[in-house]
Amino acid sequence: MFNYLRNSKKILGMNARNLDFIRPFNLSRAKRLADDKLLSKKVLAKNNLPVPKLIAKIKDLDQLEKFDWSKLPDSFALKPNRGFGGEGILVVYSHKKGRADAWVKADRSIITVEDLKSHIRNIIDGAYSLSGTPDIAFFEERLQLLKLFKPYAFKGIPDIRVIVFNKVPVMAMLRLPTKESGGKANLQQGALGVGIDLATGTTTTAVVNKSKIIEYVPDTRLLLSGIKIPYWKDILRLAVRAQEISGLGFLGADIAIDRERGPVFFELNARPGLSIQIANLSGLKERLEKVVSLKIKSIERGVRVGMDLFGGEIEEELEYISGKKLIGTAEKVKLIGKDGKEVEIDAKIDTGAYSTSIDTDIAKELGFADVISFFNSLDIPAEFNREEAKQVEDSLRKKYLGQHPDLADITVVYSSNGISVRPKISIKIILDNIEMATQVNIVERQELKKSALIGRRNLGKFLIDVAK
Amino acid sequence: MQYLPGQHLYVSSIIYFFIRAGVPFDTVILLLILPIIATLIAFLRQVAGIKAFGIYTPLIITFAFLATNGLKYGVAIFAAVILSGMLMRFVLKPFRLLYLPRVAIMLTIVAIFILGVLTIGGDLRRTGLAAVSIFPILIMITLVEKFVTVQIEKGDRVAIILAIETLIISIIGYFIAGSVSFVQFIALHPWVVLLTLPINVILGKWTGLRISEYFRFREVIKKM
Repeated sequence: MFNYLRNSKKILGMNARNLDFIRPFNLSRAKRLADDKLLSKKVLAKNNLPVPKLIAKIKDLDQLEKFDWSKLPDSFALKPNRGFGGEGILVVYSHKKGRADAWVKADRSIITVEDLKSHIRNIIDGAYSLSGTPDIAFFEERLQLLKLFKPYAFKGIPDIRVIVFNKVPVMAMLRLPTKESGGKANLQQGALGVGIDLATGTTTTAVVNKSKIIEYVPDTRLLLSGIKIPYWKDILRLAVRAQEISGLGFLGADIAIDRERGPVFFELNARPGLSIQIANLSGLKERLEKVVSLKIKSIERGVRVGMDLFGGEIEEELEYISGKKLIGTAEKVKLIGKDGKEVEIDAKIDTGAYSTSIDTDIAKELGFADVISFFNSLDIPAEFNREEAKQVEDSLRKKYLGQHPDLADITVVYSSNGISVRPKISIKIILDNIEMATQVNIVERQELKKSALIGRRNLGKFLIDVAK
Repeated sequence: MQYLPGQHLYVSSIIYFFIRAGVPFDTVILLLILPIIATLIAFLRQVAGIKAFGIYTPLIITFAFLATNGLKYGVAIFAAVILSGMLMRFVLKPFRLLYLPRVAIMLTIVAIFILGVLTIGGDLRRTGLAAVSIFPILIMITLVEKFVTVQIEKGDRVAIILAIETLIISIIGYFIAGSVSFVQFIALHPWVVLLTLPINVILGKWTGLRISEYFRFREVIKKM
């Protein structure tokens, strides 16, 4: 109970956010900048920060009537200038085949110029702006989804929310659009919020519907933790730089990653939401208080302080000292087989085994079905003891190696189930971003939890933390 | 302290002075209760975390409840307004209308719907419902605009939650302002109303977690 009360003091609530952070640090001029998407885009671009390219804007009904629809590209996003919570945003992916006046949306529905006009009329009329004030509609380039995020995001672009205070990035989360959120990356509408370790840019815990903690992408077995965000340090630098420029002392920067351009600003937020604390299972108030009295002179320094104070520092330090990467006893690995066939699986990291083995089914998926049936057709001795093993292995090698192009080796393995003879194949393994070309043996692992086991032979570049 | 024969209660001299000047007793009391209800709403927002539709709507609905004869009729009309607001959202969605015409259509439907409810009430000899005076009904119909705005800005779920919170606050307000002993207390000690000022200054500086936030962040607090 006492602990509960002490921990609750670390949480930033609505009252404290408004009174202690937004009121004193976000002056109304800066807030106006953040609430005006076109203006913040202009200011950021002027300072050489990447923003989505503006295609056109429509200020009133007169401009709407005169608008030249043929100048719109194949894909674009239509947004209200003062929209909030992702409302009123419309994204099209391509022209409808053979029609210059119709486009296709993410859900494959068709949208015509007439539909666009009606939507823009609503925007101008203020249907999506705070308190219904008249608004401006604008078209901007559509960002391209990063390959890495493809399996995680439902029909939309995920973005990264970074809270920056006093030039220090204090907390971050990845926001993944879902079916429920209709492809929008707003937590209010049902997007997933995934906490990020500030030091490494790796995702940690996830939250949906503002307070429910989840482990997997809904309706899938895709783990939400352990996603390594590319351009991580750049993203933090950009966020801090945006704070300098905008004058928002307490800023929520939304940064997306474009497939070609890399990190790009989506928008600046003067009143960042509080759910980021649930996604990170950590209190924002405690972090803000740590940073408030620091004197940060440069962006680089601010980023460094944020990474050191609010990241998994020990882990990073160990990796730095040993030059080796720290991994746990279960890790995601990517296997690359014949003709670039890729499979991503959860593997057991086992220092008790020498070589790496993978399940028969996985090997088949990687394009080795042929060599497996070849191996099964061979005459393999079943009963022999440890002394005879070496001899058996040698004779098998002599007899069969070179008879099938994919059969890299034949090996005798001693495991808890006794002695077995297994075929070996050559594949590539990617573990924690390190690629290794290696030989692995194939075995039935269906009854085991993990369909692959990484042995000592492939673990030279890593340290293993059993608690991870 | 003076005895007021019309109300069968004692009132403080200052209230007696107002009444002698020609202000009706009910008006005096309602004006004095208003800041207390407003403070209650501010308290519920800042400390408990019950949001409702701002401060004005629950306040005015409280008074609408006080003006209808019996809480159940007030709640029935409130529910009717919200229900038709929700239904109309689905009906009007495909037409993609502009904001004001859309609200106007909603108001039309709500008005007809309420008329229907009153008629059915009269038919079933629930004369109390039919006899509700027009002003509280009009006040509650204005709820539609508030409801629609939130629906557009924050979605159906939030709009319904806020409507329910508004209803809860208004019912609490109704029981406080409607209780005879409370009215008697205010009539005897009208200066108590001035206490709302320092209370609101404290509320305005309050930076602690709201009770609802203890619930919202329970997992974080537990796992930190």
